[in-house]
Amino acid sequence: MGDTGRAAMAEGPRRTFASQQNRFFWTLLSPVLVVLGVVTLLPTLYLFITSFTPLSLATPGTAWNFSAPFSNYKLLLTDERLHNSLWVQAKLSLATVVLQLLLGLVIAILLNMRTPLMNALRTSFLIPMVLPPIVVAIIWKVLYSPDISPAWWLFDWLGWQGVSPITDANWALAAIIVADTWEWFPFTMLILLAALSQMPEEQREAARIDGATSWQVTLYITLPYLKGTLLVAGLFRLIDSIKTFPLIYILTDGGPGTVTEVSNYYIFSQSFNYSYIGYSSAVTMVLVLIVLVLSWAVIRTVSGKGHDHG
Amino acid sequence: MTRFQDRTTAGALAQGKVKRRTILRGLAGGGIATVLGLKAPAVLANSRPFEGVTLQGACFQHVFHEHVKAYLPEFEEASGMKVQIDFQAFPVYNQRMDLELSTRGSSYDFINITFPYSGRWVGAGWLHPLDDFIADANITAEGWDADDFVSGTRAPFFNAEGQTCGFPWEAGAMMAGYARFDLMEAAGFGIPETLEEFEAMNRALHGKDGFAAYVNDKLHHWNFPPYLMNFGGGVFRGAPEDLMPILDTAEAAEAAHYYAALLSDYGARGVLSFTDDQALRMQLNGQANARTNAMAWVLPLTQSPDSKVRETTRYGMIPRGKAGSFPGSNANGYGIPAEARQKEAAWAFIQWATSKETFRKIALERGGLATPRRSIIDDPEYRQRLMINGQDVASIYLKVLEEAGEGGYMKYRTVPVFPQVGDKLNKAIERIASGQMSAADAMKAAQSEAIDDLRKAGIAL
Repeated sequence: MGDTGRAAMAEGPRRTFASQQNRFFWTLLSPVLVVLGVVTLLPTLYLFITSFTPLSLATPGTAWNFSAPFSNYKLLLTDERLHNSLWVQAKLSLATVVLQLLLGLVIAILLNMRTPLMNALRTSFLIPMVLPPIVVAIIWKVLYSPDISPAWWLFDWLGWQGVSPITDANWALAAIIVADTWEWFPFTMLILLAALSQMPEEQREAARIDGATSWQVTLYITLPYLKGTLLVAGLFRLIDSIKTFPLIYILTDGGPGTVTEVSNYYIFSQSFNYSYIGYSSAVTMVLVLIVLVLSWAVIRTVSGKGHDHG
Repeated sequence: MTRFQDRTTAGALAQGKVKRRTILRGLAGGGIATVLGLKAPAVLANSRPFEGVTLQGACFQHVFHEHVKAYLPEFEEASGMKVQIDFQAFPVYNQRMDLELSTRGSSYDFINITFPYSGRWVGAGWLHPLDDFIADANITAEGWDADDFVSGTRAPFFNAEGQTCGFPWEAGAMMAGYARFDLMEAAGFGIPETLEEFEAMNRALHGKDGFAAYVNDKLHHWNFPPYLMNFGGGVFRGAPEDLMPILDTAEAAEAAHYYAALLSDYGARGVLSFTDDQALRMQLNGQANARTNAMAWVLPLTQSPDSKVRETTRYGMIPRGKAGSFPGSNANGYGIPAEARQKEAAWAFIQWATSKETFRKIALERGGLATPRRSIIDDPEYRQRLMINGQDVASIYLKVLEEAGEGGYMKYRTVPVFPQVGDKLNKAIERIASGQMSAADAMKAAQSEAIDDLRKAGIAL
C-alpha cells in the first residue's frame, strides 16, 4: 500500500466521524431552527414585504399591491411626527439608561457591603422589576393624577399647588423617565451586583493597605473592574428602552400633544388605530434596523469581554 | 353567512339540546318575548330556547351598560343563555374592536358600534346586516318595532346598500351640565347662553379652594367640535363627499384657542388626562362645575345616588357662538360581527336590550334617559322624569336631537376616516392647552397631518 492509500485510510474514518458529528448537531438544531424560522423569520419577511404595499385593513385590494413599492419609505422621510418620535425615543433612551446605570450602580455597591440592613433590603429592590409592566403603569398613573394621588393630597396639605406631570408638556417625558427608571434599575443593579460578587478582594485590600480611601477604591478599582459589565447592562437596557410601551400607553397616550410619543407608540397608533399596516411596516423595518445595529454592538461587546477573560 | 350556519346553535341542535323549531317559537312568543314586554302564548312563556349557549359581547364602559347588567339576569333566565360582556375604556375598546373586526375575528357574538367608528366598521362590511332577522317573524318578536327608533339615531348604522347593521342603545345629545349652580347664582350668573357669558362665568368661579370651573374628559375629538362649529369652523369641507380637512381656518384657530383655554385656565388639575369617569366624579363631588358632554354623562349629576350635587345641578344648551349653536349628537349601538358564531342568539340579546320595555325600565327605574326610542321619549312619565330641579331637560334633549338631525352637521363624525382626523384634533388641543403651540400653529399642524393621513388612506384630496 502506497503513501496515498494510507493517508486516505487515515482520513476516511476521520471524515466519517466529522460528518456524523456534523449530522448529529444539525439533527439537534434543526427543530429549533424551524421554530425560529416560523416564529421569527417568516413574520419579519412578511413585514418586509408588506412595507412595500399600501396595506390597510379597511381598504380592500391593498394587501399585495406593489404598484408604488417605495412610497412608504418616501413618506417616512417627510413624516415629521415620525421624526419627532425618534427624537423623543432618543431622549427617553439616553435618560433612562444613564439613570438606571447610575442608580443600579450605587445600590449594587451599597448592597455589596453586606450589612444586615442591605441584606434585608436586597429583595425589596427587585419588586418593581418583577411586577407586570401594566401594574407599574397603573401605580404611576395613580401617583401622577392629582385627583386621586396620595402624593397630591400631601402636597395640598402642605399648601403646594403642583401640576400633574403627565399633562404638563415640560414634565411629561420626565414623568415617564422616572417611572421607567423605577421599574428597570433593579435589572442593572442585579447584573452589577453579580459582577461585584465575583470581584477579587485582593486588589481592594491592597489599595486600602496603601492608604486609599473608600472613594478612591471605588473610583480607581471597582469602577474600572465594572466597566465591561456596565457597558453590557447599558446596551441591554438601551435595546429594551426602545420597546417602552405600557407606561406611555397608560400614563400619557403619547401626549400632551406628541411630547411622549416614541417610535413604537407611533407605529402602534398607525397600525392599530388607523390600520395603516403597510406604512407602519415600513417604519417598523427602520426600527428593526436600529435594534439590529444595537444588538450587533451588544454581541461584539460581550464577545470582546469574553476574549479579555479568556 | 346566514343564520343557518350558526355553529353553536347547530352544535346544540346536533346534540339534541335544543330544537330549531323550539328556538324560533321561543323567540317569537316565548320567554324572551315576555321580557321584551310583548304578549306571548302561555304555553311557550317559560321556554328557554338558548339553554346552554354562552354569548360573548364587547362594549366600552358606559353607564348604559351598567343598567343593562342590572336587568341581564331576567334575560338570561328567560332565554337560557349566559351573556358575558367584556368592558374596556372607550379608546382602548375602539382600538381592540377595530383590530378584531378588521382581522375578521369571531371572538364576539355582539359588539358595541361606537359612533365615531360606525362609518368605518359598517362601510367596510365588518358587521352582519340585520334586515333578514328583522323581517323574520320567527325570530323577531311582533311589536318590537324597528321604526320606533328616532330616525336620526339609526342613520349611522345603515351601509351604502341601505342595509341595517346595528341598532342604537343611546341617542346622545350634548348639553351643558352645571353641578354648582348655587355658586353660579351667588356670583350673579344664570345659565350662560353665549360663549362670552360662559367664559365670564368660568373666570368668576374658578380656583376658589381648588374648585374647577370647567371639567371634561380627554376625548377632544368629541368635546371640541361643537365649539369649533359655534365659532364658524368645521372638520371637513363637505362630509361625506368632500373630505378635505378645514382645520387651519381662522375660525378653527379661534375656537381651538377658546376651548383649550377652558381646559388650561379653568379646568381641573390634570384635566388633559381625564377619562369620562374622572370628569364625572369631580362633578359628582362638587369639585368642578361645568361640563359639556352627552346627556348620559351629565344626567348622573341628578340621578346618581352618589351625587352630592343633586339639588344644585342645572342643565342648559351648550352656549352658542357667533356662528350659532351646533351641539353634538350621536348614537351608539349594538351590532353583530360578520364572522360571529352565534348570530341568532346575539340578535335575541340585541332585541331584548333595545326593546321598548328594557329602555322604559332603564329610563324610569334607573335614570338612563338618553333613549333612542320615540315611544319612550313621548311617554308622559318619561317627560316627567326629565323635569329636574324645575327644568324641562327633555326639551333640551329633543332640541339637540332635532337640530342635529335636521342640520346634518354631525356627518363629519361617521365618515370612515374620522378617527384619523379626530386624533389630530386631540393632539392639537393638547398642544395648545399645554402651552406647546399657539392655536393657529397647532391647527395648521393638525391640518397638515390630517391631509397626510387621509392620503395614506387613499382619499383623493
